Amino acid sequence: MATLAPPNTAEPAGRVSALAAGLTALVAVALSVPPLRPLIEQSMVWHMLVQMPLLVLAGWWAATAWAPQEGLRWNRFGLTGLMLAQCITAYWMIPAMIDRAVVMPSADAAKIASLALAGFALRLGLRQAPLAAQLFFVGYGLPMLIWLGWYMASTDLRLCNAYSLESQLRAGWGLVGLAGALGLGWVVSLRHLLADPGSGVFEIDLQRR
Amino acid sequence: MQTAALANPLRGLPGTFALCLAVLASGLAAIYQATAGGTAFTTETLRRTAIAQAPMAVPDFGVVDAHGRTQALRQLVGQDGRVWIVDFVYTRCTTLCLALGTVFQQLQAQIVAQGLQQQVGLLSISFDPLQDQPPALAEYAARMRMQADVWQLVSLRSEADRRGLLDSFGIMVVPAPLGEFEHNAALHIVGPQGRLVRILGLGEGAEALDLARTLAAARPLPAP
Repeated sequence: MATLAPPNTAEPAGRVSALAAGLTALVAVALSVPPLRPLIEQSMVWHMLVQMPLLVLAGWWAATAWAPQEGLRWNRFGLTGLMLAQCITAYWMIPAMIDRAVVMPSADAAKIASLALAGFALRLGLRQAPLAAQLFFVGYGLPMLIWLGWYMASTDLRLCNAYSLESQLRAGWGLVGLAGALGLGWVVSLRHLLADPGSGVFEIDLQRR
Repeated sequence: MQTAALANPLRGLPGTFALCLAVLASGLAAIYQATAGGTAFTTETLRRTAIAQAPMAVPDFGVVDAHGRTQALRQLVGQDGRVWIVDFVYTRCTTLCLALGTVFQQLQAQIVAQGLQQQVGLLSISFDPLQDQPPALAEYAARMRMQADVWQLVSLRSEADRRGLLDSFGIMVVPAPLGEFEHNAALHIVGPQGRLVRILGLGEGAEALDLARTLAAARPLPAP
């Protein structure tokens, strides 16, 4: 039974991740309060392409620093983590929810907590997921991001009442770019596995935890 | 631990699947709940759905017209039994409000052509009381060729009421380049008893007029 392991902050890598998680979280949360709040209130780019990714990143690094190294029992093949990350990010892509985070402090707090959780879950998910499971979720999540960005950039309908059409257009192209960068990062993360056919990455290994 | 996993490779799988399903169900439920059952993904459609399901009394603020006359908004929309088509503007606007102005000009022409002056009125409310004092209103009314018996233009009497007015109607005003504002523009149908009953898009002028006429025909006859 995997319980929460003691923080592996003793290792230098763990300490760097902990520091990165803390700094990222600090910047991301600072964007929600004065004097930086006007940035995310007036620009969809700051909201969707700076603050939201920083929150996910903070959770990601927190998982790197503090999550147990061994696989979690109820996260076989990383499925639970990937599913949780997918649900949370999908929720915050709904234009009405983006508006709500701008005008309702409680929604904004929920956004901060849940997106950080999504980053944490994503890290644990990807770490335990075989290639097939990664392919399924990446193949679903990135096209979703690209579709939304493309739609935001190409429609002349304002999707968020809180942002101008111009802001939406720039954020739309930004989302397409973000999806591209994430896809590239994912492929790069697989390079060792793909270079070695014997690594077993192409098989679903039931022994793997 | 490792030995247990080796002994039973399925260990944890049923729990994982159950947890995944629970996560997915919670996520879908949250999205379903937040989008009016998957029908409205923008604040604007949510606002229109909510009003269509539950009409709302218009807020009661003092408004001022181009002649400097002050009255309560509720009194203005409730006084003569007309159904009002309401929009929100600011008179310095050179972008979206011009489109709104064009829609309202067409509606005004139709109301006059069909002799509906007793049944349907048009009301533009400025959300910029600092700039839109009576002289600015008069200038805008002349520019738009408003006919006083069909199309009324008012501004808020007090800047303090601005927030309340926009919040109650669900209008969000965001600053745009060149000192302009951008806001969700729509046609708001205010029926008898001063209740906001429906919100329609800018392209739905004909539907708005039809609905207003129907509501006006169904209203109780004014006391003699």
